[in-house]
Amino acid sequence: MSRDVIAAASMPTRARGLAAVGEEWERFWFTPVDARPLAWVRIVTAALALALWWSYAGDVQAWFGPRGLLPIDTVRQWRSPAGCSLYDVATSSAAVAVLFHATGIVFLLLLVGLGTPIVAPLAALLWASLLNRGPMLAGPGDDCLAVVLWCLAIGPAGWHLSCDRWLRDRSGGPAPGPAVRAAIALGLLRVYGSAISVAALLAQLKGDAWWDGLAAWYLAASPHSRLSGIVPLLERSEYLTNLVTHAVTALEIAFAVAVWFVPTRRIIARAAVVAWPLIGLLAGLPLWGAIMAVFALPAAADFEPAPGIEPPSAVR
Amino acid sequence: MPQSSRQPEPHDPSRTAAGGRSEAARAVATGAIALWLLGLVLSIMGNSDSGASAFVRTVKGRLFSPWLTPLWLDLGFDYRLTYGGPEDADHALDIGRHGDEPGTGVTWPGRVVGERAARWRRLARAISADVDDADRDGLLAAAAGRGAFDRLGTQDVTVRVLRTPPRDRGAASSAPTAAYAARVRFAGGELQLLRQEARGEVAPLVRPATPAATRAAGEAR
Repeated sequence: MSRDVIAAASMPTRARGLAAVGEEWERFWFTPVDARPLAWVRIVTAALALALWWSYAGDVQAWFGPRGLLPIDTVRQWRSPAGCSLYDVATSSAAVAVLFHATGIVFLLLLVGLGTPIVAPLAALLWASLLNRGPMLAGPGDDCLAVVLWCLAIGPAGWHLSCDRWLRDRSGGPAPGPAVRAAIALGLLRVYGSAISVAALLAQLKGDAWWDGLAAWYLAASPHSRLSGIVPLLERSEYLTNLVTHAVTALEIAFAVAVWFVPTRRIIARAAVVAWPLIGLLAGLPLWGAIMAVFALPAAADFEPAPGIEPPSAVR
Repeated sequence: MPQSSRQPEPHDPSRTAAGGRSEAARAVATGAIALWLLGLVLSIMGNSDSGASAFVRTVKGRLFSPWLTPLWLDLGFDYRLTYGGPEDADHALDIGRHGDEPGTGVTWPGRVVGERAARWRRLARAISADVDDADRDGLLAAAAGRGAFDRLGTQDVTVRVLRTPPRDRGAASSAPTAAYAARVRFAGGELQLLRQEARGEVAPLVRPATPAATRAAGEAR
């Protein structure tokens, strides 16, 4: 059989494959979906954002004030050259305080869902500014919060369970239907949740502690772990220590992979909503664990779809 | 019939235009999403503890970091949580008057707990980790020392980072040790940072003993 004949025979298959990828891409990103899951993500994220914001409150002047430990000139030299922040122009204590408290107010507005189309991007921008002002202070919870805030800025996060919705209903406006922007925001949340799991897993597997099964011991025995109560148990049983360590890596692998398949998505998402906060508590990073659970939230919950909308798991 | 009236008219120019706009918007969104996802992949590849290839560093640095960094999206997400090694030690920042014992000045996080304490620990860890980075070495230590002048009422302080290594299984907790120490002072109108090396870190000077030196040592004994 000549090469041309083989090529002609394989072309339709290849074209069909490409078309299938294109259709899947279209379905994943551009099938309008109910924005209700995004509203729950908004509420939980805003509550966690307020907790993380509050953790700066006691020291914001000690770090970023005019006579603080982290003057802007030093931070400019220290951070990435591409880094910039609204705080860079806040040279007085009052300006720092105004920007910082404005961030808190914006998070409160995001929580209640008032002016969400403006407030959501503003929240992401102000949070990114705060982190860029002191990158050396930022931790995993701060990173993941920034990601979720940008996803909320893209999607219609205030269409449900919000003051915006209440005002709209009061003025007799039509009930919001499915939206492509909700699909994009929820899609990005799923991509990020999976990607963060993979990246964390790859980083962990470079260390012996995750292979010899002792990582759970080091985490629990740290003075900052919120699950230090299990230290005596782990000290008594090496197998238990190994089991907890391997359970963490197993969850990360499962979460990264299983959220992409309809039959396993809800189960793994529900497991992740419980397991991520537990991992956070074990590692002494409870807010990070809680934010990781937010990535699983849309797939975990049984959201009642708006009339005429297929449930997200069936659509995507 | 209502159903048929909802079908788009193939020859209706306004509907065709709307469909074209929708297609164009979808194409733009596809491009933006693809760009975002590529940025995500490069960020993960380019922000690993293991380093990154020159190709990834250049592409990410030139095309993606300028817009990802201000949005705080240039992230590697390499959350190892622990390796159980010295790098996972508990860090604390101690600043005191020069010449005073550690713990007599101000210590962070001190009694503070939770995420607020974690931020102080990250600052302390960054100060000690900067030693390995020629561009950053001493920057944060000098700034932190300078920032503590007013609080301590002096212009000559010692900045220390105290490190408590992770506790091994079946072992007792270790005492904190100084992972970094530097004297920060104002002298001659300028801020000076004088790094204080731990004695253990200074390599001994070893020279082969000469016959004369050996003889002298024997006589001295």
